[in-house]
Amino acid sequence: MIRDYKALLEPLTRLRGVRGAMVVAADDGVVVVDALMDGMKGKALAALAAALASRIVDLSTRASFGSARFIQLQAAEGSLLLVPATEQLLLVTVTGRDVPLGLTRLEMLKAAERMR
Amino acid sequence: MRALEPWVIRPLQDFVSESSARLTLLMTASGQVVAQHGFTGALDLMSAAALGAAIISSSSEIARVMDWPPFRNLVHQGQRQAHYLAWFDTPRGRWIALVVFGTETNLGLVQVFFEQMVEELAAAAPVESPPKEVLAVDFERELNASLRALFGR
Amino acid sequence: MIEDIRALTAQLAADPTSLVFLRLGEALRQRGQLEAAQKVALTGLSRYPHLPDAHDLYARILADRHDYANAFDEWDMVLRIAPNHVGANKGIGFLYYRAGDRENAVRHLQLALAADPGDDGLRSAIDRLGGGGEVWDTPEAAQPEITEPLPARTPPAPDPFFGFEGSVNRLLLASADGLRLGGGLASTAGEDVSEVAAALVSGAAREATRAAKLLDLGEWRHVTVECGDLSFCLVQPTSDTGLIAAMDTALPVGQLHFLAERASKAATSWLERVR
Repeated sequence: MIRDYKALLEPLTRLRGVRGAMVVAADDGVVVVDALMDGMKGKALAALAAALASRIVDLSTRASFGSARFIQLQAAEGSLLLVPATEQLLLVTVTGRDVPLGLTRLEMLKAAERMR
Repeated sequence: MRALEPWVIRPLQDFVSESSARLTLLMTASGQVVAQHGFTGALDLMSAAALGAAIISSSSEIARVMDWPPFRNLVHQGQRQAHYLAWFDTPRGRWIALVVFGTETNLGLVQVFFEQMVEELAAAAPVESPPKEVLAVDFERELNASLRALFGR
Repeated sequence: MIEDIRALTAQLAADPTSLVFLRLGEALRQRGQLEAAQKVALTGLSRYPHLPDAHDLYARILADRHDYANAFDEWDMVLRIAPNHVGANKGIGFLYYRAGDRENAVRHLQLALAADPGDDGLRSAIDRLGGGGEVWDTPEAAQPEITEPLPARTPPAPDPFFGFEGSVNRLLLASADGLRLGGGLASTAGEDVSEVAAALVSGAAREATRAAKLLDLGEWRHVTVECGDLSFCLVQPTSDTGLIAAMDTALPVGQLHFLAERASKAATSWLERVR
């Protein structure tokens, strides 16, 4: 388990098309640590990511699908990718269009594993 | 939702609907309630306004004594609901907001939409003469006057 | 056995959102208190407009009041929401029988029997009807002939996912107010989770819409979630509905997207037909 979350985000932000990554307090929706491109609304990203993750985790748990381990919101101009890393922390990445989502997913799961 | 001044309604409505706050109270630093959402009676509102203003005042005093910059907002986190208390400056002087929210939303959303509301209030506020200095003696009188206006008592 | 109306009334008063109105309405109907039963049914329907059993209850009350045309409409509504509903197929079968249309009567009774094969009474009714005999020798059958002709019936729309693999346990269409419109979902243990999933779908879709909008991501297309047992894909066939397609997590996620896309198209055209 590592606590240097800033270092954890670095490999993610180096991936092509990734606009930013952050660790968010899952219950509060506030930023723990972030690495974002200029102009990105970090507070809003953290709050909205946590709110979406909360709804999805609730749905998957109550429908007995098993715990959610990777969430992808795909939109016209990019993606919001979420990994519930621990009970308290959510790993969040925002990408643009046409990015290697598979690779980003793998890196996120790897980073989340190191947070546990 | 009730407001003493109509220009407050739209920003407050947007805030309440986006943040899913259960209760919201906006007041001036002198205790005059400007608008409220979700309170059912004058008694609740009176207590909340007086206590909220007192908390802001005492935490500002702690910051001053410790030589820190004043706290802009305070969060009291409970198991089922939380209180978000903040002050902000408007063209009409310093105002205080008390927001009560539950598990259907999160602190981040409340903060994000609160900041948006502050911007909208600043844009919507009519230009007026600078606010008068707040005297302690005014507090109770203004609080009672605003309660009468909001609840007809 | 007629249930205790007082106890049921107390239960409903304690929790007006409870589905106990169905039992209370039926108990009142069986006691012949049709006015009260109708009030209970209509109040329940206003709260649960997409609940098949609520429409079925109201239809039975209407039939008891000899308002056959409206009873037909109500049962027809049930079949639009739940095409295999036993009560509605029986009810419509009864109305066709009363109108002298034995062929359609038999067809609906057979549909009811297919959904409830253990109903021996229904089986013998079909046999008697098929053999030219009478079915309902009850006082209802001796009531005056229907003077108002039954409305021309459009066939009920099949389930939106009719013909899809997993149409009853891996595909679910839900309304904005959290009610199941079609399909169904089951957990890997086989437990029916349709209702709970339907109740949560619209909230998740609303959150996705808000996040995409405020983060300048443009219109959202899907939310795909990998879970321990089942993965699922959430899409919106229309702005006021949500659809979940689920698959074993071991299967490629691309297949899940493909299924969700096809199911979404099917749901859109189904919604156009039933609305």
